[in-house]
Amino acid sequence: MHALKSVAGAAGLGMIGFYLGLGFVAVLRAMLGYPDAWGGEINIVGGYVFGLVGWLMGIGMWGIWIREWFGLKTYQRRAPGWQRYFTFNTDHKVIGIQYLVTFIVVFLLAGLLALGMRLELASSGMQFISHSQYNGAMGLHGILMIAVAVAAVIGGAGNYAVPLMIGADDMAFPRLNALTFWLIPPVAVALLATPFLGGIETGWTAYPPLSTTTNSSQILFDLAIITFGLTSILGGLNFIITIIFMRAPGMTWGRLPIFVWSMFVTSWLAIFFTQGFAVALLMILLDRVAGMAFFSAEAGGDPLLYQHVFWFYSHPAVYIMVLPGFGLALEVISHFSRKPLFAYRYAVGAFLGILGLSGVVWAHHMFTSGMPNYLHGPFLVATELISIPTGLIFLSALGTIWMGKLWLQTPMLFAMAVIFNFACGGVTGIFLADVPTDIHLHDTYFVVAHFHYTIVGGEIFALFAGIYYWFPKMTGRMYNETLAKLHFWWMFIGFNLTFFTMHLPGVKGMNRRVADFPESLDNLNMLVSISGWLLGLSFLVFMYNMINAWIRGPVAEANPWRARTLEWQTTSPPPHENFPEQPVIKGHPYDYGVPGSVHGVFPNSGLAGAPSGSAGGGGQ
Amino acid sequence: MAPKLRQIQRTGEQAHKEALTYFHLDTFHDRMRTAAAAEWGVAARSLSLAGQGAQLLHVRHLITAGLLWVVLTAVGELLVVADLYPTVGSHEAQDFDDIFRFLLLLGVPVMTFVFAVLIYAGLQFRIRTAVPTEDGPAMRGQGWFPRAWLAVTGGLAIFVMIYPGLTGLAELQQGDKGASGWGDQEAEVTIKATAFKWQWLFEYPDGTQVSVAAGKELVLPNETSIKFEVNAADVVHSLWIPAFRMKIDAMPGRTTYMTVKPNKLGEFASDQAYRVQCTELCGLDHATMMFPVRVVEPQEFESWLASLNEGGN
Ligand SMILES: [Cu+2]
Ligand SMILES: [Cu+2]
Repeated sequence: MHALKSVAGAAGLGMIGFYLGLGFVAVLRAMLGYPDAWGGEINIVGGYVFGLVGWLMGIGMWGIWIREWFGLKTYQRRAPGWQRYFTFNTDHKVIGIQYLVTFIVVFLLAGLLALGMRLELASSGMQFISHSQYNGAMGLHGILMIAVAVAAVIGGAGNYAVPLMIGADDMAFPRLNALTFWLIPPVAVALLATPFLGGIETGWTAYPPLSTTTNSSQILFDLAIITFGLTSILGGLNFIITIIFMRAPGMTWGRLPIFVWSMFVTSWLAIFFTQGFAVALLMILLDRVAGMAFFSAEAGGDPLLYQHVFWFYSHPAVYIMVLPGFGLALEVISHFSRKPLFAYRYAVGAFLGILGLSGVVWAHHMFTSGMPNYLHGPFLVATELISIPTGLIFLSALGTIWMGKLWLQTPMLFAMAVIFNFACGGVTGIFLADVPTDIHLHDTYFVVAHFHYTIVGGEIFALFAGIYYWFPKMTGRMYNETLAKLHFWWMFIGFNLTFFTMHLPGVKGMNRRVADFPESLDNLNMLVSISGWLLGLSFLVFMYNMINAWIRGPVAEANPWRARTLEWQTTSPPPHENFPEQPVIKGHPYDYGVPGSVHGVFPNSGLAGAPSGSAGGGGQ
Repeated sequence: MAPKLRQIQRTGEQAHKEALTYFHLDTFHDRMRTAAAAEWGVAARSLSLAGQGAQLLHVRHLITAGLLWVVLTAVGELLVVADLYPTVGSHEAQDFDDIFRFLLLLGVPVMTFVFAVLIYAGLQFRIRTAVPTEDGPAMRGQGWFPRAWLAVTGGLAIFVMIYPGLTGLAELQQGDKGASGWGDQEAEVTIKATAFKWQWLFEYPDGTQVSVAAGKELVLPNETSIKFEVNAADVVHSLWIPAFRMKIDAMPGRTTYMTVKPNKLGEFASDQAYRVQCTELCGLDHATMMFPVRVVEPQEFESWLASLNEGGN
């Protein structure tokens, strides 16, 4: 068993590294005369760093990469079939699927935590869990879902589809790409270990001074998220270089599929802003292990500083989450409406506009923080302005479906739901951007409902659109359409019931991040809990359909959706090098209804992209 | 009819021109290029003949979808009159509810516009065959339409930014620009609030303190401006009274404030909107970091304060 050997071996090395690191720091501490050589949080830091290195070397970085630095011959484990998903594989298609499967599992885990929370919140008073357990579950749900939202579409759909869609044979830096994925398991292990050190008490936002004084799980949280930020930055870099330099001949910026555009812009966001979060948490870490007192008011520090640095990343982060979702939805909407993407240039402009504005709106999360009054006006203005480019995304989506030939298969249903849900999330955003309404609504369930509408309703629905859209391409098999539609309607109705209702307790006076609330809000909360469970159960249908189809679904065509973009002009699944030969781009990817237009051709093997006019003509 | 025909014709010519430039970009032989462009021209001209019918159909679609929008908006606007709010316990709360309703009034049509187009398109433009057999019209969304869209959405955004955004903000920030808080910096009664894990300590101007240990409720005089000066002893907390719709964080190392003017008698025992609630996650017992509020007539407030002093000393 290659798979077992690969992962178990690396985990073993990781463990050895972890204890070595603990011991190394302990020896240093003993030599420097600390009374408690083993007892400091800095031991955990040492253990984590050594463990991380051990894990990465074990999983394959040593063989495939580091040996090169010492002039040794590199080698790669060649695992057969499905087992390659458990190795340091540099194929972007393998990495994309690794990301997707990993983050679906994380999504379901974090979803289970949410169901647990909704159980406790079904009525006032404390029924099932303690306050401390609730806080731990809530913090873990938050940060795991943030990780899913940041990495599932970018790492999964992005890695899988971007090189295919631009006609490249892989990403620009395949080994770096594999590294970004294999940094994820230590992050997951560290986060899942937090309950053993007392549980995350601070939510995913980790505001000091609470985070500098809370239990030691904060150390694991900081280390995990700094690592996670690193994967985000490296991944962003890889996408930028890939998209700039590896486009097929003729793939001009004006012919770039909209999903690739969204990934391009998102990658810039990732490399501009992610270090904000990493630095904020590094400062927390240093406050804890080195007594820096950056955020300790009595020692001359300032807790508010953290909030600025933190939101400097964490607001753009919502666009890191949602822009690829928009791109994916627009992509699917054009193919399934059989119409050119409406106002393509405006949609691209919208992405760039959001890129520009996203860096100057962060303090709208801090309207009630006690920051000086002169800051509110500018951040209110910038925040409202961002609704203008966002409106252009709606223009593009609605213009494309108008008068189209809508093929309402599951990917299209999910993509249309993205637009539907985001309309609600966008409008409620106005209430939070306008300071006079935000003062009451801030840190209430209105906010919780709002960001679930944008992130789940916008991005996670797009993720499912992408999963169903590319499932035949990835696996070479077709899922069951009836079950998929059942999943869609179940999830769509469950989602809207849960989160639309959730606005109401917020306005009525229910603050967020609480395990208990006044009895007067009992009925509303019961309704939210029941709807939430309904939503949760819909994923059983999804899981059954995916697993079943992957194992024994009917063999998929090369181009089941009659789509024009390049990934559909090769076999399902594509060969290792993606295309039979270098494709050449002749026209726009979305020119449906334009007689005689083609997108990509293979000059020598005579395969051509779907000629439009005849919808049936696709692939081979 | 004539201008419309001319417009369609112009669209045909433009399409022809576009086709020429389009194919100019690639490496097709000239002959193929011309042929394809000509084919497109023919298609565009036949389109202009069928154009009138198509246009009428299009207008019908627009009208029906518009009606759907009106109906959805009418239903959605019921939210404006719905009772979504906790008790209005202060002048600030009245302002909040008014602004919230105004934003709903504006926001609902925006939302239902998107809903109407999606629902109408989903019902009317779906294909009923197993796989698509034809493409839709190649509408690219150039020209006046996206510009008009930009103007309308931009106008709306700038409108709500100014009113109720900036105007409301100006009313809330009457103190000096460097201060941290809401409302007047001068008030008839100033109460010092200190947040700690996981309760509150309030100190009245005469030095009387209330907390879970003493007094056990925060009594406030009605129709009197009350300024809370807020501090935190350990971590970040936030002071929120739902009935007043007002909130400000309690931050270690700085003093924030909020000024409110209650306008309705009420008490926690019968109305849970009358409570001081911590709204910033502060650790273990954040959820229960709550303190009862009672708003009474000013005379009663004075006598309550006096009685507390007797009892305490
Ligand atoms: Cu934000
Ligand atoms: Cu709190």
